Amino acid sequence: MSHVVLDLKASLKTFLRNKSTIFWTIAFPSVLILLFGAIFSQSSMKYDLYLQNQDQINGKATLWSDTIVNVLNTSNAFNIHILDPSINATDYAITNRLSSLLIIPSGFNDTANMAVSTSGSVTANVTFIYDQSTSSGPVVRSIVMNAIERTLSRGVHYLSVEDLTIAPKRFGYIDFFLPGVIGMTAMTTSIFTAVSLSARFKENGVFHKLATTPLKRYEWILSRTIYNVLISYLGMAVMMILGLTIFSMKMTVDPVSLIMVAMASLMFTGLGMIIARFVKDPDGADAAANVVTFPMMFLSGTFFPLSQMPQFLQTIAQVLPLTYVNEGLRSAMIFGQPQQAILNTVIITALGLLSIFVGSWITKWEED
Amino acid sequence: MRRSGSLVYGEYQVFDAERFKLTILDVETVVIKLRGMDLSNDVAIQVEGLTKRYGDLIAVNGISFTVNRGEIFAFLGPNGAGKTTTVEMLECLRKPTAGKAYVLGHDISKDKESIKKRTGVLPQDFATYERLTVKETIQYFAGMFNSHPDVDGLIKQVDLEDKKNVLFKHLSGGLKQRLGIAVALVNDPELIFLDEPTSGLDPKARHVVWHLIDEFQKHGKTVFLTTHYMEEAEVLADRVGIIYNGKIVALDATDKLISEYGKKNLLILKKTSSKAVPTIEKLGIEANFDDATGDVTVHLNHAVTVSEILHELSSADVSFSELQVKRSSLEDVFLNLTGESLEEDSKV
Repeated sequence: MSHVVLDLKASLKTFLRNKSTIFWTIAFPSVLILLFGAIFSQSSMKYDLYLQNQDQINGKATLWSDTIVNVLNTSNAFNIHILDPSINATDYAITNRLSSLLIIPSGFNDTANMAVSTSGSVTANVTFIYDQSTSSGPVVRSIVMNAIERTLSRGVHYLSVEDLTIAPKRFGYIDFFLPGVIGMTAMTTSIFTAVSLSARFKENGVFHKLATTPLKRYEWILSRTIYNVLISYLGMAVMMILGLTIFSMKMTVDPVSLIMVAMASLMFTGLGMIIARFVKDPDGADAAANVVTFPMMFLSGTFFPLSQMPQFLQTIAQVLPLTYVNEGLRSAMIFGQPQQAILNTVIITALGLLSIFVGSWITKWEED
Repeated sequence: MRRSGSLVYGEYQVFDAERFKLTILDVETVVIKLRGMDLSNDVAIQVEGLTKRYGDLIAVNGISFTVNRGEIFAFLGPNGAGKTTTVEMLECLRKPTAGKAYVLGHDISKDKESIKKRTGVLPQDFATYERLTVKETIQYFAGMFNSHPDVDGLIKQVDLEDKKNVLFKHLSGGLKQRLGIAVALVNDPELIFLDEPTSGLDPKARHVVWHLIDEFQKHGKTVFLTTHYMEEAEVLADRVGIIYNGKIVALDATDKLISEYGKKNLLILKKTSSKAVPTIEKLGIEANFDDATGDVTVHLNHAVTVSEILHELSSADVSFSELQVKRSSLEDVFLNLTGESLEEDSKV
């Protein structure tokens, strides 16, 4: 273990003395956030939400159902499309490939009143239809549920009297973008460090020299992985400080997002080592790393939501690991729904363990 | 029952249980462990039929040799002769295709860790973390060996005191090699492998490195070095093995190789008269006169000394503008054995 600590200390010293590494891991993503955050601060990233309010009396929405529609409207998170109560909403959702549809059933007002008066022993139900295969469906569902629950539980005291202040959190572009940049930075840092360092050490004989010392290969890999995790955390901390101070964002750091960032670093470190095994020299290594990171950066929902991309690109995004990292971080940090991110974290952890195992196995210090 | 001690055979202490960290259970076990290897204290490296193939290419072809403790042994040959492949097999970086080798008594295919702990290695073109200083680099490698050397002493030994806080990337080639040598010493090794230690260095830097290598021997260390510089082997080595196309074509003490395979030393008298020839030949040695240059050349043998020739010339009143004695060198040995010259850059 002392070897790992020793190598880690050397690596961190090296990091602090390398201006270009500091630029790419901290300054560049910070500039991205400031720039894109400023450019898109007026517009907000909105999700499409279809809504059918069946709870109407003489063509007029009931009090509770109308309140919910208003809350969702003021959240600024959705482009709300109202469906006529007479059509069969389920069929409509299927034929038109809607990603999310909220149905407020008739009689909702009565059950909601009853729910409030009985302090929740009766529950008022809405129906939410969403396409699980799209990325936005589960996110929209969690925002909608959050809004409705707040409306129902607080409304009895405040809604009727003051008629205000139950707007849920407003989501802007920066809320979407920041977790993406954290995921992207974890990816680029880990892949580039692993690829270019492995290729360089192989080329100029550092691996050869290390192989003549008692340092074990797995100890070195462990040190590099911990290093990448620490640098990714550093990037994450800087992005969050920017978000909190400059953009007054509200976000949470929970164990799920911390585990996600660590596992993403692990996965991309392994991926970098696998790439390094198949390149001949350091120049080729950087090119190969670019070939892998660039498409992922743009197709994994870092800069704009997947739902805005054509269907075939969305399909590609589904097989890119960064997609799962970004969406997991978004659910956990921004929407405050870490349980939504657990599955993604499990997927990334599994991929991480697999890639670091394969990467370690095929990285050779000694030659045949 | 655990006992420690040493096994003495005749006048040689062939087994030191303290050093080898081995528990002696009974004589039979020790005999089995000793079979096939020479653990006597005067052998540092023993190689038997070592072979390395890459597909059809035979890089090292069944070589055998022994390196004694305390000597500087040079492996001399052109690039691609199999020097680095051999040294890397001894450093446990490459697996031999066939044959056996023991480094400090440890089998290279079974006991890598012990070999790594007791040897120091300077690879061809030493490289490490670019952004660590000289001092940090030595501390880093010392930590890898869990050893606590006198870091400042090592820095002083390789004369890098004024560079100790300079980053590795800012060092010149010669300084990098010197740091590499200091790093090879962090674990106070008994045996040091130096693979082309001065390749690519300018003559001044090369002489500094030679001096350092010479110092190792004074501290009782064994040195195994590979080189394609004739002069390097000649200046440093007690014994030289000449490797060519994966085979050892000659192996002996350096001066013996030169006297056996080298040409005779050559005496050249510049711008003299043809009268010099009969004067010299009176001594019973052949001399040649070159009409074009006016030079006389004499292949010296042990029967006649240079001073006898000079005395004879002076008595006969024969003058000359300049006198040169060309010593026979390993260059001649190599040429003689292989019919080829080393590359152009082999001249120092």
